[in-house]
Amino acid sequence: MTGVTAGAVAAATARPPGSRRTSRRRARLSETLVGYSFAAPNLVLLGVFLLYPLGLAAVLSFSRYSGFGTPEWIGIGNYADLLSDAVFWRALANTTVFTIATLVLSLGLGLALAVLLDKPLPGRPVFRTIVYAPIVVSGVASGLIGVLIFDENTGVVDKALIAAGLPAVPWQSNGTAAMVAVILMTVWGRTGFNMVIYLAGLQGIGPELYEAAELEGAGAWQRFRSITFPLLGPSTFFLLIMNVIYSFQVFDLVFVLTGGGPGNATTMLTTFAYSEAFTTRMQGYAAAIGMVLLVLMLAFAGVQWRLNRGRDVTE
Amino acid sequence: MSVTRRTLLAGAGAASLTTLLASCAGFTGQPSGGSSKGSRTLTFTTWASDTEKAAYTKLIAGFEKANTGVTVKPNFVPYAQMFTNIDAQLSAGNAPDVFRAGYGQIGGYAKQGQLLDLSSSLGGEKSRFIPAFWEAVSYDGRAYGVPQQTDTSAIVYNTSLMRSAGISSFPDSLDSAWSFDEFAAAMRKLRSSLPASKFPFADNWQLAGSPRWLTWLFAAGGRLLDEDLTKSAIVSSAGTKALDYTKAFFDEQWVPQNSSTKSNTYADTTWLAGTTAMVSAGNFLLPEFTGAKFDWGVTYLPKDVRGADDLGGNALVATKGGDEELATEFLKYMVTDDAMSTFCGEALELPTLTSLVGKDLGWDAPKGVMPVFVDQATTITAADVAQLTVPASAQITTVLTDELEAAFRQGQSTATTLRNIAAGVEKAVA
Repeated sequence: MTGVTAGAVAAATARPPGSRRTSRRRARLSETLVGYSFAAPNLVLLGVFLLYPLGLAAVLSFSRYSGFGTPEWIGIGNYADLLSDAVFWRALANTTVFTIATLVLSLGLGLALAVLLDKPLPGRPVFRTIVYAPIVVSGVASGLIGVLIFDENTGVVDKALIAAGLPAVPWQSNGTAAMVAVILMTVWGRTGFNMVIYLAGLQGIGPELYEAAELEGAGAWQRFRSITFPLLGPSTFFLLIMNVIYSFQVFDLVFVLTGGGPGNATTMLTTFAYSEAFTTRMQGYAAAIGMVLLVLMLAFAGVQWRLNRGRDVTE
Repeated sequence: MSVTRRTLLAGAGAASLTTLLASCAGFTGQPSGGSSKGSRTLTFTTWASDTEKAAYTKLIAGFEKANTGVTVKPNFVPYAQMFTNIDAQLSAGNAPDVFRAGYGQIGGYAKQGQLLDLSSSLGGEKSRFIPAFWEAVSYDGRAYGVPQQTDTSAIVYNTSLMRSAGISSFPDSLDSAWSFDEFAAAMRKLRSSLPASKFPFADNWQLAGSPRWLTWLFAAGGRLLDEDLTKSAIVSSAGTKALDYTKAFFDEQWVPQNSSTKSNTYADTTWLAGTTAMVSAGNFLLPEFTGAKFDWGVTYLPKDVRGADDLGGNALVATKGGDEELATEFLKYMVTDDAMSTFCGEALELPTLTSLVGKDLGWDAPKGVMPVFVDQATTITAADVAQLTVPASAQITTVLTDELEAAFRQGQSTATTLRNIAAGVEKAVA
């Protein structure tokens, strides 16, 4: 190394600034490619089975199409028809009522059961399993169970009411009662899922918070209101989004339990779209209903994300 | 080292993508198997009751035996999924070679160019069939299927519930069938004798069965469409009479309130449960009725100006693009005297061949039951068939379902209902 200065070594080994940038860019590109190659299978599935059909449905919504032959382009004709279609507005109102009712009931019950079953009760795992079990039952099976329960002529509920000397409820021929039946079956199926998410949230809250609150003289309700509920905010937000999406997408249970009737009392946007697509074969019109549903869901998710950004409460 | 690992991982990712894409070919590629040299395969999709399935299986075996090297692959699917699947398969270009369809559906498929035109290959068979049924498989003067069987509705009653209301004699011929007034009087008697949880009657117009309401309209002397089949003819005194009469079923508590056109429960289910004394039911349900836990009998549908009936039954149709010659041979075989006799005899259904009319096909049903259905089937007219088989039948069914539900259960007036049906029907046939 005699006669060679450190500066000369540095100068000899150092790459020019431009070359360093290129190398860093290459590394980043390589990193990106690796990332995309991992994501590729999911992206391909998403593209083939979600985005591509979604694009086709969007195009179809501007067409008149019976399912055969070539779709006829009619511009915004289907959307204009929707605005003056009383059944569409009824289906939208029904879907909104159903969503609000199932959301409030299944979240409330899920939270109550989670708080209850978070405590060291005897037989706790059994109770948790019983509450969670309906989530594994398919919507069609739930609907069939609902028919057995709520059939006006042969259902167990009306038979029990009559046996108790009470008047039978017209679960299938009265619109309000039919909607109640659909809501009850949905809540039955969904409460278990909400409970499990809330249980996970509850187990993340440190017991020292409750001990400190007790030392300060806080009662059970105050502890729930000031500690439990706020700290379950992220769980509630997640469940809110999931439940609204599930409710807007409800189909199988309604299809089997009421078929959208009586009249259009339990017709939802999804059952209406199905009926238009596969019964009357107006697939362009059905696609337009689907697009409206998509826009509503995107708008809801957007508003929720905006309102809840940065509002996660932690200990 | 890190570069090597990344390269390896990137390679693995690319490989998984390649595998995925390769496997995707399976979603869209042609099905494996199919015909090879010396062997021919025919795909056949149908729904079927247990007795129908047994009969189809027997007939298919006979066809395969008579045609060496031929394999018929039957696909038995639930009725509820049948036409959603068929529509999707037709759209995707992979429909079965042959499928079963209701008479009211043929016009719609034929108009869209989805069915094989059988006029030249099977047109010569026309004279063998009861004219109304050949008419039912024709569209625009061309034949698109073969009428395999027909079925019809009649009144099936629970003997003890009827007796408890003092009704012990029943019409035993078409001529002596109850009039609208006599039928109403019978329901009134039953209403007085039955508890509130039981009902005199249930009509079988649920679950896409709303065209069966037209039986009441036809019996009252009315029409749904004019003779040109281009305008509605339902706004008439006959239309008013039929609708007022059937609305009274609900107003007078003669039928269960949940048995309207949009109900999800079949009328025969409530009858079998002992909830109703009478039900209008198709002869294809007789195998189920044999398991009833009470004595029962069958009588004719009520008549007014004339007797009438729904156009029950189904045809076999072929699609384009497959082995059309073999499909045509299969259709021809399925409507030979022997094949139809076997199918109708085993499945308790009625033939469409004139040569089999009036013959005992060995139906395994209580004595005297099948002749009622056979007689009832003669009340359908060519004019009724023409109205029930227009290409817009699917849309008309939806209009009838919605509007009758509104009339029966939501207090919509008769005049408004008839006007709405007329408007909906005219929009559908336009």
